[in-house]
Amino acid sequence: MEFLIEQGKQLHQDCSTLLLPALSIGNVGQLAVDLLVSSTKAERIGYLDDPYILPCVGNDAYGPIPCGDLALPLEAYDSPASALTLIQQRSPVVQGMMIEFAKNLADFAVASGKKHIVVLSGLDFGRWQRIDMSSGLQTYYLSSTNNDGTDEYCEQLGWKRLQEYNPAQRSWKYLSALAEGNALEENRLPFEDELGEEDYYPSLPFAALFSCFKAKGLKVTCLLCYCSEGDNMPDAFHVAEAACKLLGLSPDNFHGDEGVKWLTPFSWKTVYGPPPDMSMF
Amino acid sequence: MTVPMVLMIYLLSQLFVQLALKMEDVLTEIPPPSRFFQEDLNNFTPPSSPLPSPFLLFSNPKPDQPLRPTLLIIALSTSSLYVFNHVSSKTLIGSVFLPEIPFSGNTFKPSLGNKSCNIYALNSADNLTLLVSIQCSVSTERSNVVAKLLIGEQIIPERVLILDSVQSQNFRGKLSSDETCAFKLETLAERKGQDGVCGVSSLLKGLDYFPSGSMVDGLAAALLARCQMRNIRGALCLSWPECGGSVVALIKSILQRTVLHGIDLSSKGDAEDKYLKFSKIKDHPFDSELYT
Repeated sequence: MEFLIEQGKQLHQDCSTLLLPALSIGNVGQLAVDLLVSSTKAERIGYLDDPYILPCVGNDAYGPIPCGDLALPLEAYDSPASALTLIQQRSPVVQGMMIEFAKNLADFAVASGKKHIVVLSGLDFGRWQRIDMSSGLQTYYLSSTNNDGTDEYCEQLGWKRLQEYNPAQRSWKYLSALAEGNALEENRLPFEDELGEEDYYPSLPFAALFSCFKAKGLKVTCLLCYCSEGDNMPDAFHVAEAACKLLGLSPDNFHGDEGVKWLTPFSWKTVYGPPPDMSMF
Repeated sequence: MTVPMVLMIYLLSQLFVQLALKMEDVLTEIPPPSRFFQEDLNNFTPPSSPLPSPFLLFSNPKPDQPLRPTLLIIALSTSSLYVFNHVSSKTLIGSVFLPEIPFSGNTFKPSLGNKSCNIYALNSADNLTLLVSIQCSVSTERSNVVAKLLIGEQIIPERVLILDSVQSQNFRGKLSSDETCAFKLETLAERKGQDGVCGVSSLLKGLDYFPSGSMVDGLAAALLARCQMRNIRGALCLSWPECGGSVVALIKSILQRTVLHGIDLSSKGDAEDKYLKFSKIKDHPFDSELYT
Protein backbone atom coordinates (compact mmCIF):
# COMPACT_ATOMS: atom_id res chain seq x y z
CA MET A 1 0.00 0.00 0.00
CA GLU A 2 1.41 3.35 -0.99
CA PHE A 3 0.31 6.61 0.60
CA LEU A 4 0.29 9.40 -1.99
CA ILE A 5 0.05 12.84 -0.48
CA GLU A 6 -1.79 15.54 -2.43
CA GLN A 7 0.20 18.45 -3.74
CA GLY A 8 0.50 21.19 -1.21
CA LYS A 9 -0.85 19.06 1.62
CA GLN A 10 0.86 17.58 4.66
CA LEU A 11 0.31 14.90 7.26
CA HIS A 12 -0.65 16.48 10.58
CA GLN A 13 1.41 14.85 13.29
CA ASP A 14 -1.10 15.78 15.98
CA CYS A 15 -3.83 13.69 14.30
CA SER A 16 -3.01 10.71 16.48
CA THR A 17 -6.36 8.91 16.10
CA LEU A 18 -7.22 7.05 12.91
CA LEU A 19 -10.88 6.39 12.17
CA LEU A 20 -11.96 4.10 9.34
CA PRO A 21 -14.88 1.93 8.21
CA ALA A 22 -15.08 -1.82 7.97
CA LEU A 23 -17.16 -3.14 5.08
CA SER A 24 -20.41 -4.48 6.48
CA ILE A 25 -24.09 -5.00 5.99
CA GLY A 26 -25.80 -1.67 5.43
CA ASN A 27 -22.48 0.07 4.57
CA VAL A 28 -22.85 1.62 8.03
CA GLY A 29 -19.16 2.30 8.66
CA GLN A 30 -18.71 3.95 5.27
CA LEU A 31 -21.81 6.12 5.70
CA ALA A 32 -20.65 7.13 9.19
CA VAL A 33 -17.22 8.15 7.87
CA ASP A 34 -18.93 10.15 5.10
CA LEU A 35 -20.92 11.98 7.76
CA LEU A 36 -17.85 12.68 9.90
CA VAL A 37 -15.72 13.88 6.97
CA SER A 38 -18.50 16.17 5.82
CA SER A 39 -19.37 17.52 9.28
CA THR A 40 -15.82 18.08 10.54
CA LYS A 41 -14.95 19.60 7.14
CA ALA A 42 -11.91 17.37 7.19
CA GLU A 43 -9.44 18.11 4.44
CA ARG A 44 -8.34 15.42 2.06
CA ILE A 45 -4.58 15.03 2.34
CA GLY A 46 -3.95 12.05 0.11
CA TYR A 47 -4.81 8.67 -1.33
CA LEU A 48 -3.94 5.11 -0.46
CA ASP A 49 -2.99 3.01 -3.47
CA ASP A 50 -3.52 -0.66 -2.65
CA PRO A 51 -3.56 -3.59 -5.09
CA TYR A 52 -6.31 -5.33 -3.11
CA ILE A 53 -8.99 -2.69 -3.45
CA LEU A 54 -11.21 -2.63 -6.53
CA PRO A 55 -11.17 0.57 -8.61
CA CYS A 56 -13.85 3.24 -8.66
CA VAL A 57 -14.06 6.98 -9.36
CA GLY A 58 -16.75 9.59 -8.99
CA ASN A 59 -17.37 13.30 -8.56
CA ASP A 60 -16.80 14.98 -5.21
CA ALA A 61 -18.98 13.25 -2.61
CA TYR A 62 -19.21 16.10 -0.12
CA GLY A 63 -20.08 19.38 -1.80
CA PRO A 64 -21.65 21.80 -1.02
CA ILE A 65 -21.65 21.93 -4.81
CA PRO A 66 -19.54 19.22 -6.45
CA CYS A 67 -17.08 20.87 -8.77
CA GLY A 68 -15.39 17.89 -10.34
CA ASP A 69 -12.97 17.00 -7.54
CA LEU A 70 -12.35 13.27 -8.04
CA ALA A 71 -13.41 10.72 -5.40
CA LEU A 72 -11.17 7.65 -5.34
CA PRO A 73 -11.52 4.24 -3.63
CA LEU A 74 -9.35 4.88 -0.57
CA GLU A 75 -8.82 8.43 0.66
CA ALA A 76 -7.23 9.94 3.75
CA TYR A 77 -8.64 13.07 5.41
CA ASP A 78 -7.28 15.08 8.33
CA SER A 79 -9.25 17.11 10.85
CA PRO A 80 -6.54 18.80 12.98
CA ALA A 81 -9.16 20.48 15.19
CA SER A 82 -10.39 17.01 16.19
CA ALA A 83 -6.90 15.42 16.13
CA LEU A 84 -8.37 12.90 13.76
CA THR A 85 -7.33 11.20 10.51
CA LEU A 86 -10.20 9.57 8.67
CA ILE A 87 -9.94 6.99 5.91
CA GLN A 88 -12.88 6.51 3.59
CA GLN A 89 -13.22 3.31 1.59
CA ARG A 90 -15.61 3.42 -1.35
CA SER A 91 -15.21 0.03 -3.02
CA PRO A 92 -14.88 -3.62 -2.02
CA VAL A 93 -11.70 -5.57 -1.42
CA VAL A 94 -10.64 -8.24 -3.93
CA GLN A 95 -12.26 -11.49 -2.80
CA GLY A 96 -9.96 -13.50 -0.59
CA MET A 97 -7.59 -10.62 0.17
CA MET A 98 -9.28 -8.99 3.16
CA ILE A 99 -6.59 -9.97 5.65
CA GLU A 100 -3.77 -8.78 3.39
CA PHE A 101 -5.65 -5.52 2.93
CA ALA A 102 -6.08 -5.17 6.70
CA LYS A 103 -2.36 -5.82 7.22
CA ASN A 104 -1.53 -3.08 4.72
CA LEU A 105 -3.76 -0.64 6.57
CA ALA A 106 -2.12 -1.59 9.85
CA ASP A 107 1.32 -0.95 8.33
CA PHE A 108 0.13 2.47 7.18
CA ALA A 109 -1.18 3.28 10.66
CA VAL A 110 2.16 2.38 12.23
CA ALA A 111 4.18 4.28 9.60
CA SER A 112 2.11 7.42 10.10
CA GLY A 113 2.44 7.32 13.88
CA LYS A 114 -1.17 6.65 14.83
CA LYS A 115 -1.86 5.77 18.45
CA HIS A 116 -5.53 4.81 18.52
CA ILE A 117 -7.54 3.19 15.74
CA VAL A 118 -11.34 3.37 15.70
CA VAL A 119 -13.16 0.96 13.35
CA LEU A 120 -16.83 1.58 12.53
CA SER A 121 -19.08 -1.24 11.34
CA GLY A 122 -22.61 -2.57 11.14
CA LEU A 123 -23.65 -6.07 12.22
CA ASP A 124 -26.39 -8.20 10.73
CA PHE A 125 -29.61 -7.82 12.73
CA GLY A 126 -30.52 -11.35 11.65
CA ARG A 127 -27.62 -12.69 13.72
CA TRP A 128 -28.49 -10.82 16.90
CA GLN A 129 -28.80 -13.49 19.61
CA ARG A 130 -30.28 -11.52 22.48
CA ILE A 131 -32.31 -8.58 21.27
CA ASP A 132 -32.48 -5.77 23.83
CA MET A 133 -34.17 -2.60 22.64
CA SER A 134 -35.05 -1.43 26.15
CA SER A 135 -32.61 1.46 25.94
CA GLY A 136 -32.97 2.16 22.25
CA LEU A 137 -30.36 1.29 19.64
CA GLN A 138 -27.48 -0.27 21.51
CA THR A 139 -23.82 0.33 20.69
CA TYR A 140 -21.54 -2.67 20.89
CA TYR A 141 -17.77 -2.49 21.04
CA LEU A 142 -14.64 -4.57 20.90
CA SER A 143 -11.42 -3.21 22.38
CA SER A 144 -7.78 -4.26 22.48
CA THR A 145 -7.40 -2.78 25.99
CA ASN A 146 -8.10 -6.04 27.83
CA ASN A 147 -7.66 -9.61 26.63
CA ASP A 148 -11.37 -10.30 26.82
CA GLY A 149 -12.13 -7.35 24.55
CA THR A 150 -13.44 -5.04 27.28
CA ASP A 151 -12.53 -1.45 28.01
CA GLU A 152 -13.51 0.44 31.15
CA TYR A 153 -14.24 3.71 29.38
CA CYS A 154 -16.54 2.02 26.85
CA GLU A 155 -18.36 0.32 29.74
CA GLN A 156 -18.80 3.69 31.45
CA LEU A 157 -20.36 5.02 28.26
CA GLY A 158 -23.00 2.30 28.60
CA TRP A 159 -21.85 0.19 25.69
CA LYS A 160 -21.79 -3.59 25.62
CA ARG A 161 -18.80 -5.67 24.68
CA LEU A 162 -19.48 -7.93 21.69
CA GLN A 163 -20.41 -11.15 23.46
CA GLU A 164 -19.37 -13.27 20.51
CA TYR A 165 -15.71 -12.27 20.91
CA ASN A 166 -13.77 -15.22 22.28
CA PRO A 167 -10.01 -15.07 21.69
CA ALA A 168 -9.73 -18.80 22.47
CA GLN A 169 -12.26 -19.81 19.80
CA ARG A 170 -10.71 -21.44 16.72
CA SER A 171 -11.63 -18.78 14.17
CA TRP A 172 -10.59 -15.84 16.36
CA LYS A 173 -7.32 -17.69 17.10
CA TYR A 174 -6.74 -18.42 13.41
CA LEU A 175 -7.46 -14.80 12.50
CA SER A 176 -5.02 -13.62 15.15
CA ALA A 177 -2.36 -16.01 13.84
CA LEU A 178 -2.90 -14.79 10.26
CA ALA A 179 -2.60 -11.17 11.43
CA GLU A 180 0.66 -11.96 13.18
CA GLY A 181 1.93 -13.85 10.14
CA ASN A 182 2.37 -17.19 11.87
CA ALA A 183 -0.67 -19.20 10.86
CA LEU A 184 0.16 -22.88 10.51
CA GLU A 185 -1.38 -25.23 7.95
CA GLU A 186 -2.75 -27.51 10.67
CA ASN A 187 -4.62 -24.59 12.21
CA ARG A 188 -6.53 -23.85 9.01
CA LEU A 189 -10.26 -23.66 9.40
CA PRO A 190 -12.45 -26.57 8.30
CA PHE A 191 -14.39 -26.36 5.08
CA GLU A 192 -17.23 -23.90 4.81
CA ASP A 193 -19.98 -26.44 5.39
CA GLU A 194 -18.37 -27.43 8.69
CA LEU A 195 -18.25 -23.88 10.04
CA GLY A 196 -20.67 -23.02 12.83
CA GLU A 197 -22.36 -19.93 14.23
CA GLU A 198 -19.35 -19.23 16.42
CA ASP A 199 -17.21 -18.85 13.28
CA TYR A 200 -19.39 -16.07 11.85
CA TYR A 201 -18.19 -12.95 13.69
CA PRO A 202 -14.46 -13.58 13.20
CA SER A 203 -15.16 -13.94 9.47
CA LEU A 204 -16.32 -10.32 9.21
CA PRO A 205 -14.09 -7.51 7.90
CA PHE A 206 -14.12 -5.57 11.21
CA ALA A 207 -12.56 -8.64 12.87
CA ALA A 208 -9.71 -8.68 10.32
CA LEU A 209 -9.00 -5.00 10.94
CA PHE A 210 -9.22 -5.49 14.73
CA SER A 211 -6.80 -8.42 14.67
CA CYS A 212 -4.29 -6.78 12.32
CA PHE A 213 -4.16 -3.47 14.19
CA LYS A 214 -3.89 -5.33 17.49
CA ALA A 215 -1.07 -7.49 16.11
CA LYS A 216 0.92 -4.29 15.47
CA GLY A 217 0.55 -3.27 19.10
CA LEU A 218 -1.89 -0.45 18.35
CA LYS A 219 -4.85 0.40 20.54
CA VAL A 220 -7.98 -0.41 18.56
CA THR A 221 -11.66 0.04 19.32
CA CYS A 222 -14.42 -1.31 17.10
CA LEU A 223 -17.81 0.41 17.36
CA LEU A 224 -20.66 -1.74 16.12
CA CYS A 225 -24.40 -1.54 15.73
CA TYR A 226 -26.95 -4.06 14.51
CA CYS A 227 -28.89 -3.17 11.40
CA SER A 228 -30.62 -4.57 8.33
CA GLU A 229 -30.10 -3.64 4.68
CA GLY A 230 -32.26 -0.66 3.82
CA ASP A 231 -32.07 3.03 4.65
CA ASN A 232 -29.01 2.90 6.86
CA MET A 233 -28.54 6.62 7.37
CA PRO A 234 -29.97 6.48 10.93
CA ASP A 235 -27.46 3.71 11.71
CA ALA A 236 -24.67 5.90 10.33
CA PHE A 237 -25.72 8.77 12.59
CA HIS A 238 -25.80 6.42 15.57
CA VAL A 239 -22.31 5.07 14.97
CA ALA A 240 -20.88 8.50 14.15
CA GLU A 241 -22.28 9.87 17.42
CA ALA A 242 -20.78 6.92 19.28
CA ALA A 243 -17.39 7.67 17.70
CA CYS A 244 -17.66 11.29 18.85
CA LYS A 245 -18.50 10.17 22.40
CA LEU A 246 -15.54 7.80 22.45
CA LEU A 247 -13.13 10.50 21.26
CA GLY A 248 -14.57 13.27 23.39
CA LEU A 249 -15.69 15.28 20.36
CA SER A 250 -18.79 17.42 20.21
CA PRO A 251 -20.55 17.71 16.86
CA ASP A 252 -21.78 21.15 17.97
CA ASN A 253 -18.21 22.39 17.64
CA PHE A 254 -17.43 20.89 14.27
CA HIS A 255 -18.12 23.75 11.93
CA GLY A 256 -19.59 26.58 13.90
CA ASP A 257 -22.90 26.78 12.02
CA GLU A 258 -25.56 27.83 14.43
CA GLY A 259 -27.91 25.03 15.49
CA VAL A 260 -26.65 22.49 12.95
CA LYS A 261 -24.70 19.53 14.27
CA TRP A 262 -24.28 17.28 11.29
CA LEU A 263 -23.68 18.16 7.65
CA THR A 264 -24.89 15.38 5.39
CA PRO A 265 -22.75 14.85 2.30
CA PHE A 266 -24.08 16.10 -1.02
CA SER A 267 -23.85 12.57 -2.48
CA TRP A 268 -26.46 11.34 0.03
CA LYS A 269 -29.14 13.18 -1.95
CA THR A 270 -29.11 10.42 -4.57
CA VAL A 271 -27.93 7.43 -2.54
CA TYR A 272 -31.18 5.61 -3.30
CA GLY A 273 -31.43 6.74 -6.89
CA PRO A 274 -33.46 9.55 -8.46
CA PRO A 275 -36.97 10.47 -7.31
CA PRO A 276 -39.82 8.69 -9.14
CA ASP A 277 -41.05 10.03 -12.45
CA MET A 278 -44.15 11.96 -11.37
CA SER A 279 -45.56 11.99 -14.92
CA MET A 280 -46.67 8.37 -14.45
CA PHE A 281 -49.25 9.57 -11.94
CA MET B 1 -69.25 -15.39 -21.43
CA THR B 2 -68.47 -14.57 -25.06
CA VAL B 3 -65.44 -15.82 -26.99
CA PRO B 4 -63.79 -12.35 -27.10
CA MET B 5 -64.14 -12.05 -23.31
CA VAL B 6 -62.57 -15.46 -22.79
CA LEU B 7 -59.75 -14.50 -25.13
CA MET B 8 -59.19 -11.19 -23.31
CA ILE B 9 -59.09 -12.93 -19.92
CA TYR B 10 -56.61 -15.46 -21.33
CA LEU B 11 -54.40 -12.72 -22.79
CA LEU B 12 -54.47 -10.74 -19.54
CA SER B 13 -53.50 -13.82 -17.54
CA GLN B 14 -50.59 -14.43 -19.91
CA LEU B 15 -49.51 -10.81 -19.48
CA PHE B 16 -49.50 -11.18 -15.70
CA VAL B 17 -47.48 -14.40 -15.98
CA GLN B 18 -44.92 -12.68 -18.20
CA LEU B 19 -44.68 -9.73 -15.82
CA ALA B 20 -44.21 -12.06 -12.87
CA LEU B 21 -41.45 -13.92 -14.69
CA LYS B 22 -39.67 -10.66 -15.48
CA MET B 23 -39.98 -9.29 -11.96
CA GLU B 24 -36.92 -9.85 -9.91
CA ASP B 25 -36.99 -12.22 -7.02
CA VAL B 26 -35.60 -9.96 -4.32
CA LEU B 27 -34.42 -12.94 -2.30
CA THR B 28 -32.35 -14.67 -4.93
CA GLU B 29 -31.40 -11.97 -7.42
CA ILE B 30 -27.90 -10.53 -7.17
CA PRO B 31 -27.80 -7.54 -4.86
CA PRO B 32 -27.69 -4.01 -6.32
CA PRO B 33 -24.17 -2.59 -6.67
CA SER B 34 -24.04 -0.82 -3.33
CA ARG B 35 -24.61 -3.98 -1.35
CA PHE B 36 -22.17 -6.81 -0.83
CA PHE B 37 -22.11 -10.49 -1.64
CA GLN B 38 -21.48 -12.80 1.32
CA GLU B 39 -18.02 -13.64 -0.05
CA ASP B 40 -17.09 -9.94 -0.10
CA LEU B 41 -17.56 -9.83 3.66
CA ASN B 42 -15.79 -13.08 4.55
CA ASN B 43 -12.19 -12.92 5.72
CA PHE B 44 -11.75 -16.63 5.05
CA THR B 45 -12.92 -16.70 1.43
CA PRO B 46 -10.03 -18.26 -0.48
CA PRO B 47 -8.49 -16.03 -3.13
CA SER B 48 -8.94 -16.89 -6.81
CA SER B 49 -6.12 -18.68 -8.57
CA PRO B 50 -3.60 -16.07 -9.70
CA LEU B 51 -3.54 -15.25 -13.39
CA PRO B 52 -0.37 -14.68 -15.41
CA SER B 53 0.45 -10.98 -15.73
CA PRO B 54 -0.72 -9.10 -18.82
CA PHE B 55 2.00 -7.65 -21.01
CA LEU B 56 2.64 -5.21 -23.85
CA LEU B 57 4.17 -6.22 -27.15
CA PHE B 58 5.37 -3.63 -29.66
CA SER B 59 6.30 -4.24 -33.29
CA ASN B 60 9.38 -2.07 -32.92
CA PRO B 61 10.34 -2.28 -29.29
CA LYS B 62 12.98 -0.10 -27.65
CA PRO B 63 13.37 -1.85 -24.31
CA ASP B 64 15.26 0.95 -22.57
CA GLN B 65 13.01 3.74 -23.70
CA PRO B 66 9.39 4.02 -22.69
CA LEU B 67 7.01 5.58 -25.17
CA ARG B 68 6.20 9.18 -24.24
CA PRO B 69 3.09 10.19 -26.18
CA THR B 70 1.71 13.70 -25.89
CA LEU B 71 -1.70 12.09 -25.67
CA LEU B 72 -2.80 8.56 -24.83
CA ILE B 73 -6.38 7.74 -25.83
CA ILE B 74 -8.00 4.62 -24.41
CA ALA B 75 -11.24 3.60 -26.13
CA LEU B 76 -13.45 1.35 -24.03
CA SER B 77 -17.01 2.11 -25.16
CA THR B 78 -18.69 0.56 -28.17
CA SER B 79 -19.27 3.97 -29.74
CA SER B 80 -15.65 5.14 -29.36
CA LEU B 81 -14.31 1.83 -30.67
CA TYR B 82 -16.55 2.25 -33.70
CA VAL B 83 -15.34 5.82 -34.31
CA PHE B 84 -11.67 4.94 -34.10
CA ASN B 85 -12.13 1.85 -36.26
CA HIS B 86 -12.88 4.23 -39.11
CA VAL B 87 -9.77 6.37 -38.63
CA SER B 88 -7.69 5.45 -41.64
CA SER B 89 -4.60 7.36 -40.55
CA LYS B 90 -3.64 5.04 -37.71
CA THR B 91 -0.76 2.58 -37.61
CA LEU B 92 -0.79 -0.59 -35.57
CA ILE B 93 2.31 -0.58 -33.38
CA GLY B 94 1.56 -3.09 -30.67
CA SER B 95 -0.90 -4.88 -28.46
CA VAL B 96 -1.85 -5.52 -24.84
CA PHE B 97 -2.08 -9.23 -24.14
CA LEU B 98 -4.30 -10.52 -21.36
CA PRO B 99 -3.64 -14.26 -20.91
CA GLU B 100 -7.23 -14.89 -19.81
CA ILE B 101 -8.68 -13.64 -23.11
CA PRO B 102 -8.74 -16.34 -25.80
CA PHE B 103 -7.72 -15.45 -29.35
CA SER B 104 -10.05 -17.97 -30.94
CA GLY B 105 -12.24 -16.34 -33.55
CA ASN B 106 -9.94 -13.36 -34.05
CA THR B 107 -8.96 -12.42 -37.60
CA PHE B 108 -5.36 -11.72 -38.55
CA LYS B 109 -6.26 -8.22 -39.67
CA PRO B 110 -7.54 -5.88 -36.92
CA SER B 111 -11.31 -5.94 -36.85
CA LEU B 112 -14.07 -4.64 -34.59
CA GLY B 113 -15.16 -8.23 -34.03
CA ASN B 114 -11.81 -9.30 -32.56
CA LYS B 115 -11.26 -9.72 -28.84
CA SER B 116 -8.10 -7.66 -28.80
CA CYS B 117 -6.41 -4.63 -27.23
CA ASN B 118 -4.44 -3.07 -30.07
CA ILE B 119 -2.21 -0.04 -29.76
CA TYR B 120 -2.07 2.43 -32.65
CA ALA B 121 -0.10 5.53 -33.42
CA LEU B 122 -2.30 8.29 -34.83
CA ASN B 123 -0.49 10.32 -37.46
CA SER B 124 0.19 13.75 -36.17
CA ALA B 125 2.60 16.36 -37.46
CA ASP B 126 4.28 17.32 -34.20
CA ASN B 127 3.13 15.11 -31.39
CA LEU B 128 2.77 11.39 -30.85
CA THR B 129 -0.78 10.35 -30.06
CA LEU B 130 -1.33 6.75 -29.08
CA LEU B 131 -4.66 4.99 -29.22
CA VAL B 132 -5.45 1.81 -27.30
CA SER B 133 -8.65 0.07 -28.46
CA ILE B 134 -9.86 -2.25 -25.71
CA GLN B 135 -12.16 -4.67 -27.54
CA CYS B 136 -12.54 -7.22 -24.77
CA SER B 137 -13.97 -7.17 -21.28
CA VAL B 138 -11.36 -6.57 -18.61
CA SER B 139 -12.60 -7.82 -15.24
CA THR B 140 -12.72 -5.40 -12.32
CA GLU B 141 -10.16 -7.52 -10.48
CA ARG B 142 -7.69 -7.16 -13.38
CA SER B 143 -8.29 -3.48 -13.97
CA ASN B 144 -5.61 -2.15 -11.65
CA VAL B 145 -2.85 -4.27 -13.16
CA VAL B 146 -3.89 -3.38 -16.73
CA ALA B 147 -4.02 0.32 -15.83
CA LYS B 148 -0.53 0.07 -14.39
CA LEU B 149 0.66 -1.55 -17.62
CA LEU B 150 -0.80 1.22 -19.79
CA ILE B 151 0.23 4.24 -17.75
CA GLY B 152 3.50 4.97 -16.06
CA GLU B 153 5.89 2.19 -17.02
CA GLN B 154 6.41 1.34 -20.69
CA ILE B 155 4.08 4.16 -21.71
CA ILE B 156 4.49 7.52 -19.97
CA PRO B 157 1.88 9.88 -21.42
CA GLU B 158 1.68 13.63 -20.87
CA ARG B 159 -2.09 13.48 -21.07
CA VAL B 160 -4.70 10.72 -21.05
CA LEU B 161 -8.22 10.58 -22.50
CA ILE B 162 -10.46 7.63 -21.64
CA LEU B 163 -13.71 7.01 -23.48
CA ASP B 164 -16.29 4.80 -21.80
CA SER B 165 -20.07 4.54 -21.39
CA VAL B 166 -22.18 5.42 -18.39
CA GLN B 167 -22.74 2.24 -16.35
CA SER B 168 -26.47 2.36 -15.73
CA GLN B 169 -26.21 0.12 -12.65
CA ASN B 170 -23.91 2.67 -10.98
CA PHE B 171 -25.77 5.80 -12.09
CA ARG B 172 -28.00 7.48 -9.54
CA GLY B 173 -29.76 9.87 -11.89
CA LYS B 174 -32.29 9.30 -14.66
CA LEU B 175 -31.15 7.96 -18.01
CA SER B 176 -33.43 7.39 -20.96
CA SER B 177 -32.40 5.33 -23.97
CA ASP B 178 -33.92 8.12 -26.09
CA GLU B 179 -31.55 10.65 -24.67
CA THR B 180 -27.95 11.10 -25.85
CA CYS B 181 -25.55 12.71 -23.45
CA ALA B 182 -22.00 12.70 -22.18
CA PHE B 183 -20.36 13.59 -18.89
CA LYS B 184 -16.78 14.02 -17.80
CA LEU B 185 -14.48 13.38 -14.88
CA GLU B 186 -11.05 14.95 -14.75
CA THR B 187 -7.93 14.71 -12.63
CA LEU B 188 -6.86 17.74 -10.62
CA ALA B 189 -3.96 18.26 -13.02
CA GLU B 190 -6.35 18.43 -15.97
CA ARG B 191 -8.70 20.83 -14.15
CA LYS B 192 -5.81 23.11 -13.20
CA GLY B 193 -4.93 23.27 -16.86
CA GLN B 194 -8.39 24.77 -17.51
CA ASP B 195 -7.63 27.70 -15.21
CA GLY B 196 -4.88 28.73 -17.55
CA VAL B 197 -2.04 27.66 -15.32
CA CYS B 198 -0.71 25.39 -17.99
CA GLY B 199 -2.23 27.39 -20.82
CA VAL B 200 -3.81 24.42 -22.56
CA SER B 201 -7.58 23.95 -22.90
CA SER B 202 -9.50 21.03 -21.40
CA LEU B 203 -9.82 17.83 -23.41
CA LEU B 204 -13.57 17.68 -22.73
CA LYS B 205 -14.52 21.33 -22.64
CA GLY B 206 -18.24 21.93 -22.58
CA LEU B 207 -19.26 18.63 -20.97
CA ASP B 208 -20.94 18.60 -17.58
CA TYR B 209 -19.29 16.80 -14.70
CA PHE B 210 -20.58 13.33 -13.86
CA PRO B 211 -23.18 13.82 -11.11
CA SER B 212 -22.05 13.35 -7.50
CA GLY B 213 -23.34 10.11 -5.95
CA SER B 214 -22.91 8.11 -9.17
CA MET B 215 -19.78 6.03 -9.61
CA VAL B 216 -17.66 4.44 -12.32
CA ASP B 217 -15.85 1.16 -11.75
CA GLY B 218 -13.67 -1.19 -13.81
CA LEU B 219 -10.84 -0.30 -16.15
CA ALA B 220 -11.95 3.29 -16.82
CA ALA B 221 -11.90 3.98 -13.08
CA ALA B 222 -8.53 2.29 -12.62
CA LEU B 223 -7.00 4.36 -15.44
CA LEU B 224 -8.34 7.70 -14.22
CA ALA B 225 -7.45 6.94 -10.60
CA ARG B 226 -3.91 6.10 -11.66
CA CYS B 227 -3.67 9.44 -13.49
CA GLN B 228 -4.95 11.29 -10.41
CA MET B 229 -2.54 9.59 -8.05
CA ARG B 230 0.41 10.13 -10.39
CA ASN B 231 -0.52 13.76 -11.06
CA ILE B 232 -1.07 13.14 -14.80
CA ARG B 233 -3.54 15.23 -16.79
CA GLY B 234 -6.39 12.81 -17.40
CA ALA B 235 -10.00 12.97 -18.48
CA LEU B 236 -12.76 10.39 -18.70
CA CYS B 237 -15.68 10.87 -21.10
CA LEU B 238 -18.79 8.87 -20.16
CA SER B 239 -21.35 8.71 -22.96
CA TRP B 240 -24.92 7.43 -23.08
CA PRO B 241 -26.44 5.28 -24.50
CA GLU B 242 -23.88 2.54 -25.06
CA CYS B 243 -24.35 2.32 -28.80
CA GLY B 244 -26.31 3.82 -31.65
CA GLY B 245 -25.91 6.43 -34.33
CA SER B 246 -26.66 9.40 -32.06
CA VAL B 247 -23.98 8.62 -29.50
CA VAL B 248 -21.42 7.87 -32.25
CA ALA B 249 -22.15 11.31 -33.72
CA LEU B 250 -21.74 12.86 -30.26
CA ILE B 251 -18.38 11.16 -29.68
CA LYS B 252 -17.17 12.29 -33.11
CA SER B 253 -18.11 15.89 -32.41
CA ILE B 254 -16.38 15.81 -29.00
CA LEU B 255 -13.21 14.35 -30.49
CA GLN B 256 -13.08 16.63 -33.49
CA ARG B 257 -13.54 19.75 -31.36
CA THR B 258 -10.29 19.23 -29.49
CA VAL B 259 -8.45 15.97 -29.44
CA LEU B 260 -8.55 14.88 -33.06
CA HIS B 261 -8.94 18.18 -34.80
CA GLY B 262 -8.08 17.72 -38.45
CA ILE B 263 -8.24 13.93 -38.45
CA ASP B 264 -10.80 12.34 -40.79
CA LEU B 265 -13.38 10.51 -38.68
CA SER B 266 -15.95 9.94 -41.44
CA SER B 267 -17.31 6.43 -41.78
CA LYS B 268 -16.92 4.44 -44.94
CA GLY B 269 -20.59 5.07 -45.85
CA ASP B 270 -21.73 1.81 -44.29
CA ALA B 271 -24.61 3.32 -42.39
CA GLU B 272 -26.11 -0.14 -41.99
CA ASP B 273 -23.01 -1.28 -40.13
CA LYS B 274 -24.11 -3.93 -37.69
CA TYR B 275 -22.11 -2.39 -34.83
CA LEU B 276 -24.34 0.65 -34.88
CA LYS B 277 -27.43 -1.51 -34.64
CA PHE B 278 -26.39 -4.05 -32.06
CA SER B 279 -25.31 -3.54 -28.50
CA LYS B 280 -21.76 -3.83 -27.25
CA ILE B 281 -18.80 -4.71 -29.39
CA LYS B 282 -17.34 -6.60 -26.44
CA ASP B 283 -20.39 -8.78 -25.88
CA HIS B 284 -21.51 -8.99 -29.47
CA PRO B 285 -24.57 -11.25 -29.83
CA PHE B 286 -22.82 -13.26 -32.52
CA ASP B 287 -19.76 -13.83 -30.37
CA SER B 288 -19.44 -17.33 -29.10
CA GLU B 289 -16.49 -19.62 -28.75
CA LEU B 290 -18.74 -22.36 -30.09
CA TYR B 291 -18.73 -20.77 -33.51
CA THR B 292 -15.05 -19.98 -34.14
